[in-house]
Amino acid sequence: MDEEPERAKRWEGGYERTWEVLKEDESGSLKATVEDILFQAKRKRVFEGHGQVRLGMMRHLFVIIDSSRSMEDQDLKPNRLTSTLKLMEFFVEEYFDQNPISQIGIITTKNKRAEKLTDLAGNPKKHLAALKKVVDSTCVGEPSLYNSLNCVALPSGTEIKEILVIFSSLTTCDPANIYELIKTLNALKIRVSVIGLSAEVRVCTILTRETGGSYNVILDESHFKELLMLHVKPPPASSSSECSLIRMGFPQHVIASMSDQDAKPSFSMSHLDSTGEPGLTLGGYYCPQCRAKYTELPVECKVCGLTLVSAPHLARSFHHLFPLEAFQETPLEEYEGERFCEACQGELKDKSVFTCLACKKVFCVECDLFIHDTLHCCPGCMQTDRTS
Amino acid sequence: FRLNIEGLLVYFPTLDAKGHGVLEMPSGTGKTISLLSLIVAYHKAYPLEVTKLVYCSRTVPEIEKVVEELRKLMDYYAKQTGAKNDFLALALSSRKNLCIHPEILHANIVVYSYHYLLDPKIADLVSKELTKKSVVVFDEAHNIDNVCIDSMSVNITRRTLDRCQTNVETLQNTISRIKETDAAKLREYRRLVEGLKEANVARETDMYLSNPVLPDEILQEAVPGSIRTAEHFVGFIKHFLEYLKARLRIHHVVQESAPQFLKDIYEKVCIDRKPLRFCAERLRSLLRTLEIADIADFSAITLISHFATLVSTYSKGFTIIIEPFEDRTPTIANPVLHFSCMDPSIAIKPVFGRFQSVIITSGTLSPLDIYPRILDFRPVTTASFTMTLARTCLCPLIVGRGNDQVAMTSKFETREDFAVIRNYGNLLLEMSAIVPDGIVAFFTSYIYMENIVASWYEQGILENIQRNKLIFIETQDAAETSMALEKYQEACENGRGAILLSVARGKVSEGIDFVHHFGRAVIMFGVPYVYTQSRILKARLEYLRDQFQIRENYFLTFDAMRHVAQCVGRAIQGKTDYGLMIFADKRYARADKRGKLPRWIQEHLTDGSLNLTIDETVQLAKYFLRQMAQPFRQEDQLGLSLLTLEQLQSEDMLQKIAQIAQQA
Repeated sequence: MDEEPERAKRWEGGYERTWEVLKEDESGSLKATVEDILFQAKRKRVFEGHGQVRLGMMRHLFVIIDSSRSMEDQDLKPNRLTSTLKLMEFFVEEYFDQNPISQIGIITTKNKRAEKLTDLAGNPKKHLAALKKVVDSTCVGEPSLYNSLNCVALPSGTEIKEILVIFSSLTTCDPANIYELIKTLNALKIRVSVIGLSAEVRVCTILTRETGGSYNVILDESHFKELLMLHVKPPPASSSSECSLIRMGFPQHVIASMSDQDAKPSFSMSHLDSTGEPGLTLGGYYCPQCRAKYTELPVECKVCGLTLVSAPHLARSFHHLFPLEAFQETPLEEYEGERFCEACQGELKDKSVFTCLACKKVFCVECDLFIHDTLHCCPGCMQTDRTS
Repeated sequence: FRLNIEGLLVYFPTLDAKGHGVLEMPSGTGKTISLLSLIVAYHKAYPLEVTKLVYCSRTVPEIEKVVEELRKLMDYYAKQTGAKNDFLALALSSRKNLCIHPEILHANIVVYSYHYLLDPKIADLVSKELTKKSVVVFDEAHNIDNVCIDSMSVNITRRTLDRCQTNVETLQNTISRIKETDAAKLREYRRLVEGLKEANVARETDMYLSNPVLPDEILQEAVPGSIRTAEHFVGFIKHFLEYLKARLRIHHVVQESAPQFLKDIYEKVCIDRKPLRFCAERLRSLLRTLEIADIADFSAITLISHFATLVSTYSKGFTIIIEPFEDRTPTIANPVLHFSCMDPSIAIKPVFGRFQSVIITSGTLSPLDIYPRILDFRPVTTASFTMTLARTCLCPLIVGRGNDQVAMTSKFETREDFAVIRNYGNLLLEMSAIVPDGIVAFFTSYIYMENIVASWYEQGILENIQRNKLIFIETQDAAETSMALEKYQEACENGRGAILLSVARGKVSEGIDFVHHFGRAVIMFGVPYVYTQSRILKARLEYLRDQFQIRENYFLTFDAMRHVAQCVGRAIQGKTDYGLMIFADKRYARADKRGKLPRWIQEHLTDGSLNLTIDETVQLAKYFLRQMAQPFRQEDQLGLSLLTLEQLQSEDMLQKIAQIAQQA
């Protein structure tokens, strides 16, 4: 009996938010405020991070997912854990799409312990599979920030530069003074960012401030997604970090035709440690140095340690270094010209239009975002290049 | 700070009109600095009008804070003008820094505790040479009436009398010894005949701050013959002492007024009113003559002599209550004679009378009209400011019932109710799960807290709470409390999270700030009324009703609410801070309670946040905490709660400010 009004209230709670936003501004107009907020949020990402900064191209990111008792809270639907994992899957895909030569690792923490779900690896499939498995696990006990950070920081052999913590609980159960650990992290130049699911916790504020990361707390699910996506983009590298030249191999995909008598199906090196699907394949990528075979790229050669990538991967990482410049925003009223978006050919209806500074073509908001987020080059400029 | 400017505008006429003012400003909004800077600026502009600033605060840390602000201001002045400033500021904080050097005369700014100005015993030593053109500021003055009363009240126990007895004996010995060696020294007779003319002249020429213990009449008279010589005086004191001892040997409670007491003393031991009045002055003179350096040893006898003078001087505003035992321990005989002042205006009257401007200010002074009434003065300005905020950083919520709809209240009849205690427990449990870092919870009394915590323990609520946060408890033991406080802060700092259970009116509720993560939520369990059965309080209430037409209920509510405001105000210290304020009692929703909260809290108390259930509270709190956790930069405040110089000089902004100032 108690259950029914409870749910109604929760639903109401979700609804209330929209009204909260719907505050009248001074002239009493309502709709402007809501639009503004959405609009600003969309634009924010485009504007951030422009200018001459050095970006770390090969990222080694560890994601720590809190799976303590508080993850069972149902303020994200259906509960925090499921919602988080769903977003994480999306994040992993997006991460590898945008940073093809980077690696990721996942750690969960519950019951005062930290558990390494997946080690650093550049293969999204493995991570996604691991994430799917976590969904069914129960959330118990308290998280331990210390243990999970320690889990990452201890094996100092690998060069981890970033940690992202998704922290739902308000407490952490630590075996030792966490401030000492923060100092160590700082010395190792590890950047720790935190996304809080409930409220601002002091220790996270300090942790992120000291290590130069960002700390955000989600408002609702869409905000959560937005915050997570901010981490897709590589962070600016600190100026002190040295540039290193990395040897890379660009293996060609060799497809042995069935008709070729010499070709024998063989195992790939990546099957050595994975238990499932030990398939024999005919073709694959062969390491130019030691001829070890792999079925997927990017990967680090297990035999000679060479980083193997394909040229398109490298090219895709490249755009971060030369981001497309933000378009100039002008209110629709002031804009005089053809009311068509150059990209989608749709009518310009939003209250602002965006002009590319180079080719002076105009775009609508949606296209502006698509160009900056996905295309990374201005279609207008491309056209002019071609015609000239 | 924008508030600053509003404050200054309102405050300005106070100085101009040479009157008194009452100002309420939320804590952490730069109240101190704005007052200081204004007065310093005023002093710079009109050096003849205002010569000195006396800044009184309550506790030593607060005094230190003021000094810190002052130092900043001076640095700023030095930077802006380039010239070395000629200001001399002096802080009299604790006993270890106590300085009664004449330098105080030349200092432009004096910072010290209330007691130096209000307590007649100390005021005499420290403050009497302050000039008339000083401006006096009482900071954190929400309790000023109690301070006034305390400074004029005397409690005499059997131990006091015993120690007094020893004092008398020491005196006697000293006198006889000196008599043998240096009889001439004791010839203070002549001076006594001439009376306290010296003091009288001083007062007439307006050099000194008058001492309320030293009434006007006795200045014109000579010390009566019966206590002129040292031996006679000591004898007289002994006599008086015996009488008091006899009075303490009782088995039932006696309450009488000062005239009744005098009549009784005259009938029983033939002590007249007149010599009693001179007691304090005479003792002082004697101690001076005997060249006794360590006056602290003679505190008991000084106390008795003050009592004698007070009781014989004031026929109104005081009451004498003799209790044979404490109410809590009726079996142990512990007779106490309370000579209690009921009229705070007596102690503060000379201050108002003497200085051209007196400003009473605090974060919580609502309702503003009651202070002038009980302190008996007429303010030129009374104003209550709210915070101008770029974001709503405080969230007051009144929780009136549990999820089972049972009303939540600490009302006497229902406070032991199982359901009420359980609901209180559930509230704390729910809050501990959603509020990060520190929560401070206030109970109405130590006994109530003990009962509730014991009951929570039995119901297993305590265990559940401890899964979320550590629990610390304030006790009556100061050392234990400070230990708990320290550990509490440590737990908040390293992310474990903690709850501090404490008591309104306790040490924690006043003077200890819970900035930022140390206090993300304050929960008030119940309304902290004073213990109404106390006879002293009853007498005072009666007096208030008869003299000031303030109804008992009104005063009690006012008193409770100012403590509530103090408690919840602990969490918000400035604009970058944020915190929940949870009032867990349905009585808070009533207009008479709500109306007595400071304006800066009331303003955020919407209809939607009254009489909530625990669930609704959790929803609102969650939402609030998430909102507040969003990044907040200084630039966001610009134009709203912070003004740049250009904005300040722009025409329409000035108009806006003037408008706000007028409303206030």
